[in-house]
Amino acid sequence: MSWQAVARKEFRDAIRSRWLHGSTLFFVLFLGGAPALFFGLLIPADLRQISNLFGFFADLGVFSFSFPGLLALILGFVALSTSYGSITEERESGSIKLLLSLPNSRLDAMVGKLLGRSAVVVVALLVGFFATFLVLLATGTRLQLGSFVPQIALTALVGVAFVSIGLSLSALADSNREATLATMGLYLVFAVLWGSISEGIPKLLNYAAEQVGIGGISEVLRVKIGVFLKYLNPLKTYETLAAQVYYGPEQARLVTTTFGEQAILTPVLEESVPFYFSGWFLLVILLAWVVVPAVVGYWAFERADL
Amino acid sequence: MSAIDLDGVTKRFEDVTAVSDLSLTVEEGEIFGFLGPNGAGKSTTINFLLDFVRPTSGTVTVLGHDAREDSVAVRERTGVLPEGFDVYDRLTGRAHVEFAIDSKDVDADPDAVLERVGLADAADRQAGGYSKGMRQRLALAMALVGDPELLILDEPSSGLDPAGAKEMREIVLAEAERGTTVFFSSHILEQVEAVCDRVGILRAGELVAVDSIEGLREASDADATLRVTVGERVDDDVLAAVRDLSGVDRVERDGDDALRVACESDAKTRVVTELEDSGVSVTDFTTEEASLEDLFLAYTERDEDVGGGADAPADDPTEDAPVEDAEVSR
Repeated sequence: MSWQAVARKEFRDAIRSRWLHGSTLFFVLFLGGAPALFFGLLIPADLRQISNLFGFFADLGVFSFSFPGLLALILGFVALSTSYGSITEERESGSIKLLLSLPNSRLDAMVGKLLGRSAVVVVALLVGFFATFLVLLATGTRLQLGSFVPQIALTALVGVAFVSIGLSLSALADSNREATLATMGLYLVFAVLWGSISEGIPKLLNYAAEQVGIGGISEVLRVKIGVFLKYLNPLKTYETLAAQVYYGPEQARLVTTTFGEQAILTPVLEESVPFYFSGWFLLVILLAWVVVPAVVGYWAFERADL
Repeated sequence: MSAIDLDGVTKRFEDVTAVSDLSLTVEEGEIFGFLGPNGAGKSTTINFLLDFVRPTSGTVTVLGHDAREDSVAVRERTGVLPEGFDVYDRLTGRAHVEFAIDSKDVDADPDAVLERVGLADAADRQAGGYSKGMRQRLALAMALVGDPELLILDEPSSGLDPAGAKEMREIVLAEAERGTTVFFSSHILEQVEAVCDRVGILRAGELVAVDSIEGLREASDADATLRVTVGERVDDDVLAAVRDLSGVDRVERDGDDALRVACESDAKTRVVTELEDSGVSVTDFTTEEASLEDLFLAYTERDEDVGGGADAPADDPTEDAPVEDAEVSR
């Protein structure tokens, strides 16, 4: 196994790219700047605690905004951009012939690329979080490390998931152009369209059930299906898990839901959190977003002629 | 044990047969030249050896390992200079060689390897700034890491100036001296002649012939043409006298001030001497080398030497630039 050699090569290569330098700078400005503005200027000293920014969720029913959500949206974009060309670009330039004429198996290549590029994204992210840390100290903000450290780990994990997704598209695509378009399309789905799809599917199921005459689906079940589908989106999985580290699972499962969904779901969650809405289950979903795309990508890459 | 063994290998891409029923054995310690115009299927064949491309049918064995199932085992003992590759722009030359050392899991000094291919001075520069020839040397350095038992070189001298090509040749010969089997492809006859023990000739996806270098010389010399520039028009009886010389096939005028003589290579001096003895002033003479196309004809016309079918399939394998194809078939 020589995946370490590939990972080292990937890291050494990517660490010199201007894209990475730009992303790192951006993370520093964003993760350092936002708390500096927020804790340094906007809010009074007695409210300075991490959860007021990194656990900030505003739910206006039809429209919800959260700081973790915004962070994930940006991070997803950066991670996809870091990885979607990792195979197609090597194919188009021909450097893949150097990579694979050495005794690296295609599995080594995939694993090495996943780890190497993930390391690059995580390093950029951690540099950003280090800036956060400095600002928190400087503004005398309460650190809440018991919540903040798990959140950093979750953030790194969602970054790796998007690296894996981009890598998989790179392995499946026939050209860099195709990989670019597929990545943009998928990002659009995750960032914008997923909510409508996950709300539409239970309605469609309900309609279909009524048509075939087995009666409609109960409203509770419809909402459960809809919210469950919503949390399959890695951006949302992350968002609700990030909320959980501050507010516990019952509240965290509601952070991206509509008022209508909340009205139905709140009693269900208060009674007991079903396993498919538990933090552990959602963590497994996030881990699946790391593993499954990479496996699918490997499956395609292994079969392809170069 | 043979180093390379291809048995009945065929590769069909969607609408094109790139390689058709190719069988070929390269023995250990041999320098084997794989000759053919661009687009003949040379790179596809080499890609089989490295598992870059999987054959539609047939088996490929390299160093005793199945090239498909045990590709890593093959590549652990093989150094490769691929065709149409590129370097990692942002990595230095040394980082490339270190990557090769890491991947092969061997102990080697990157600087010593770079020294050997003449890149020691550029070791710390990013390879993105290297010239084509330097990239070629860098890939060769990566191939040489770990003293491979088999060297596979696909068009090794492309991008190299004559001095670079000579160095490349010397390195290949030094490796062969060490016992390394060398398999290299080229579309230039002279390169193959200069170093190879045996030659396989590929055309339009089929192996036209496999021959020793002597056999190849004979075949290529048979069609060598001597062009003699003379001071004045040559009389018919002088032409007849030249035509009668042994080893001369054909003599014709090429305008009033030149002759074209088709002859064996050792008859060239006799031709010039005969002309000068007859009072003709010879101002210049050049040998027109047999082109690859002439060589194919030489093999395909001598039926008893023909290894594979002579008829090219109607399909035109398009693995390489079509421009080069045109050049060869002009």
